[in-house]
Amino acid sequence: MKLEGEYIFDGPQEDVWELVRDPDVLATALPGTQSLDQVGENEYEGVMNVRIGPVAGVFSGRIVVSDEVPPETCTLTVEGKGKPGFINGTGYVNLIDQGDSTTLMKYDGEIQIGGRLASVGQRLFDTTSKSMIRQGLETLNKALQARIAVKTGGGEVEYKPPSESEFAVAVAKDMAGEALSSSRTTWIAVAVVIVIVIVALILINLGGG
Amino acid sequence: MRHLFDVGVTVNGNRYERTVEPRLLLSDFLRHDLGLTGTHVGCEHGVCGSCTILFDGQPVRSCLMFAVQANGHEILTVEGLGTPEDLHPLQEAFWEAHSVQCGFCTPGILMTLVPFLEENPNPNEDEIRAAISGNLCRCTGYQHIVDGVKLAAQKMSA
Amino acid sequence: MTKKYIGKRIKRSEDPRLLTGEALFVDDVEIPGMLHAAFLRSDYAHAYLKSIDVSAAQAREGVVAVFTAETMGDDWQPGPPLVSPPPTVEDVIFHSRTQVPLVKDKVRHVGEPIAIVIAESRYIAEDAVDDIVVDLEPLDVVVDIEKAMQPDAPLVHDDLDSNLAAHIEQEKGDYAAIREEADLIIKRRIVIDRGAAVAMENRGIVAQWDAKSQRLTVWDTTQAPIAIRNGLAARLDLSEHQVRVIAPFIGGAFGPKMMMFYPEEMLIPWVSIKLDRPIKWIEDRYENFYATTQERGQVHEAEMALTLDGRILGVSDVFLHDSGAYDPYGLTLPLNTQCHMMGPYDIANYYSESKVVFTNKTIVTPVRGAGRPQGIFIVERLLDLAAKELGIDPVEIRKRNLIPPDAFPYEHKIIDQAFAPLIFDSGNYKPVLEKAADMIGYDRFVKDEQPRLRAEGRHVGIGIVPFIETTGVGPYEGARVTVEASGKINVATGVGTQGQGHFTSFAQIVADQLGVDVRDVHLVTGDTAEFHWGTGTFASRGSVVAANAINASAKLVREKILALASKVLEAPEDELELADGVIRVADVPRISISLGELAMLANPLRGAVEPGTEPGLEATAYFGPQYGAIAFGTHAMIVEVDPQTMMIEIKRYVAVEDCGTVINPLIVDGQIHGGVSLGIGNSYYEKLVFDENGQLLNASLMDYLIPTAAEVPRIEIGHEETRSPLNPLGSKGVGEAGAIPVPALFAQAMENALPEYDLEILEAPLSPNRLFELLREKEREL
Repeated sequence: MKLEGEYIFDGPQEDVWELVRDPDVLATALPGTQSLDQVGENEYEGVMNVRIGPVAGVFSGRIVVSDEVPPETCTLTVEGKGKPGFINGTGYVNLIDQGDSTTLMKYDGEIQIGGRLASVGQRLFDTTSKSMIRQGLETLNKALQARIAVKTGGGEVEYKPPSESEFAVAVAKDMAGEALSSSRTTWIAVAVVIVIVIVALILINLGGG
Repeated sequence: MRHLFDVGVTVNGNRYERTVEPRLLLSDFLRHDLGLTGTHVGCEHGVCGSCTILFDGQPVRSCLMFAVQANGHEILTVEGLGTPEDLHPLQEAFWEAHSVQCGFCTPGILMTLVPFLEENPNPNEDEIRAAISGNLCRCTGYQHIVDGVKLAAQKMSA
Repeated sequence: MTKKYIGKRIKRSEDPRLLTGEALFVDDVEIPGMLHAAFLRSDYAHAYLKSIDVSAAQAREGVVAVFTAETMGDDWQPGPPLVSPPPTVEDVIFHSRTQVPLVKDKVRHVGEPIAIVIAESRYIAEDAVDDIVVDLEPLDVVVDIEKAMQPDAPLVHDDLDSNLAAHIEQEKGDYAAIREEADLIIKRRIVIDRGAAVAMENRGIVAQWDAKSQRLTVWDTTQAPIAIRNGLAARLDLSEHQVRVIAPFIGGAFGPKMMMFYPEEMLIPWVSIKLDRPIKWIEDRYENFYATTQERGQVHEAEMALTLDGRILGVSDVFLHDSGAYDPYGLTLPLNTQCHMMGPYDIANYYSESKVVFTNKTIVTPVRGAGRPQGIFIVERLLDLAAKELGIDPVEIRKRNLIPPDAFPYEHKIIDQAFAPLIFDSGNYKPVLEKAADMIGYDRFVKDEQPRLRAEGRHVGIGIVPFIETTGVGPYEGARVTVEASGKINVATGVGTQGQGHFTSFAQIVADQLGVDVRDVHLVTGDTAEFHWGTGTFASRGSVVAANAINASAKLVREKILALASKVLEAPEDELELADGVIRVADVPRISISLGELAMLANPLRGAVEPGTEPGLEATAYFGPQYGAIAFGTHAMIVEVDPQTMMIEIKRYVAVEDCGTVINPLIVDGQIHGGVSLGIGNSYYEKLVFDENGQLLNASLMDYLIPTAAEVPRIEIGHEETRSPLNPLGSKGVGEAGAIPVPALFAQAMENALPEYDLEILEAPLSPNRLFELLREKEREL
């Protein structure tokens, strides 16, 4: 599966680079992350709670950063596995100075998923993962504003990472929004509501059984 | 240390008190804790309808509920519907119309139809098909089930 | 014998228990002290197993044991092959590679079991599965059968040179020569994809080892309890008499429950002995999508040679058949496909070459239809395209090619799935085709109704497809019939039953032979303690092979009854009549004796008996057909397609079947309904979607859609009866027939419904989505 996209950070390239290379900040950007520790110069290990549709569980994973050209590009190799299956992927991140104190982030990558994540969660994987990335990047952007504010002495901007449930609600909204925007008829909206209800019920089920 | 909860439930008119884990599914509770194995489990994700029971009179999928959620409630399973010697008119009609092949999905279909026929004593074919469209059957192609429901409606209104 | 019951719509004796939840299914078995099993299964389709650490799982409270391939020691052995390759055909290549109980070195498909956890409850066992740490080194994956045959493809089995599992060629006449004389050659690439059987009951096994009596009892959702018993005894080093296998009520099977031995089927009894505890394992739906066998994947390069007037001169076909990761079921499926690719037609020249291919997917074994729908799809598609090309009506071109009634027995000079020569025993095909055309109103629809509907802008099409089904193959079945002192009859047979109504249809045969009420005939089946010779319920053979064995034993009992009654009543046998459970002297009805009394006289407690006499009114007999009986039918359908939404409505569905003698029409109708329903799924709703890594993307009933009551139309059934000369009852099988023609029928009717698109449907299954793509492709072309 391919993932690609772009995002504009409201800050200079150097600051964005610093931010995305800081594991503590990254850990807060994706709620559900229980830990993210640096285990080598360019290697991180972490544990994350993931929910993709009806599939929920804890993933443990390893991220390796390579081909680094600060503050512009790097390649991320991710390996994660847990009860719901596995994710392996390689992503390429490019930060482009837009010249107006904003930075364009372009990313693209290939991911391979397996286990329940693929077989039960696949129809929700695409939208969920896109949404998680978007939510994560927005959180990062807020963190960036907070940092810049401290740096420039302009007082503190409050930065509070979203809770896991706030994050989940945002993802669900995104998914419903995506389905609605691509639909031609209203039944899809109804179907989405039904799916969300079923998914909620199944979450309880899978989590229990 | 596992947390346990007390559950008190009335099934087919009998009162049961058990202590269970909160994660225990209602379907497993009925089948394995109470020994009421007529309720079948076909998918464990609420799609096939085999595990349908009546929960306070409403058809629900017992694989999508926890036993603890049934505390204080009233349940009817297929065992409470009739016995081989004294079949419910719907069961009679299913027998006559050959609505049963392997019989695995049958209890869930019966429990779906009992309240349906109460609300729709004289259903047409489309209404019957809509009523059972949430119950999967792989053997019958549904036709003899539809015939069985029509026959039951006749029997029950006679 | 008088036919009081055979041919009658008798309601089923097993139903009251099924209707009230009293029937015993495997998961209903509860034994004190029983432990529960759960499996760690691979998330990868192809990977080396580097290491596995079960210590945390073992330490979990409530866990009794964890086993891996390594800890099984010498007891770890690959499963025995279920069906061996045919010995009678020259130059057959067959590489037997059978499934393993637990992965030892290499994972070959997602869902392959790696470890088994035994715990006090299934909940704890599943918790403990998550505690296992397994290190798998992923390998490149073989998914697509065509890519699997490329020289640089990764190997599913490292010790082979390629992914070729088997190769078989069969030939009749001389296709290459006749091709030169043909007026028209139709050549197409046709693809058929995978589906699942989806019995509503998943698989399950309960095993109980009793150390004191040294006996093993196994409840298994199998179609073949006797073969399971014999195999278990061999593998566990027990006498066959120490093992009892019970296939109780089974919640649908449709083929995959005939597969043996599933890894779980060997492991659960093994663990029970090892731990000296009863063990239960019930497959969940998710496991069912990976660990229970599937079928249908084939890619064909097919061609048909015809004359200008639509006579088929020959058919030639080369196809790849997806076997999945192993090939325990031998060549059954490709042979079935080969045997159906000439359909009901008189075709003198035929060439077929099949290559069976290993892939990193779930194992392939028969699913209701079993290779036959593919064969019918090929011949019918080619014929439809030829009819279009030649401007001949689809029904007419079929009539011109049907095997004529005086040509039976019709020899095809190739071999069938039982390695016997493919001979069509009997048939009268044209009346069945005409009846179907008549019932659906073919001429009127084509002449009047369709033009009118088209003028209204509606897309309504008709299809009509004749087909054959090879049924009732050997080797044999057996039965024992006993008259009890109560006058009731006990019948024991080995086949096992999964909803086909054997309790009733078999009782009808016995009731007619012995002149008793059908309700007084009690049948036991699927319990090796009751009867332990036989093969199983598969290949639409119950009403042929088992039914004739039962008929034969009932006949022997009838002879015993008459012989003894003749002595007791002092009247010649030919003056006696059997009716209502009583033997009477025909002319002097007051001289009579009840069956029960006679049974007691046949089993005296005192007194001398003549040498050579057998006690009781009991007999055991076997039936093995010389070769299979060929059933026949024609299905017709009118379908409306909405080219905006791709939703379809089946407006009429007609199925005319000729399955020889019908024992119980109610049951036969039910079999046809169910078969058609599965066929509809196979045609328009069901497809297992694997990604390029061998991950199944729709492994739940939320995503894998089997037809509901809203998708299956009312099916109008017609019967014709051509008795099979191969068995005394004259019966042929009907279990799979319903499913066989449906994909071909859909393709024909859809093309007919959408004439402006000039569609060529060369694949099955379709889906709304796929039809949308095909129509868009056509729109771009036009």
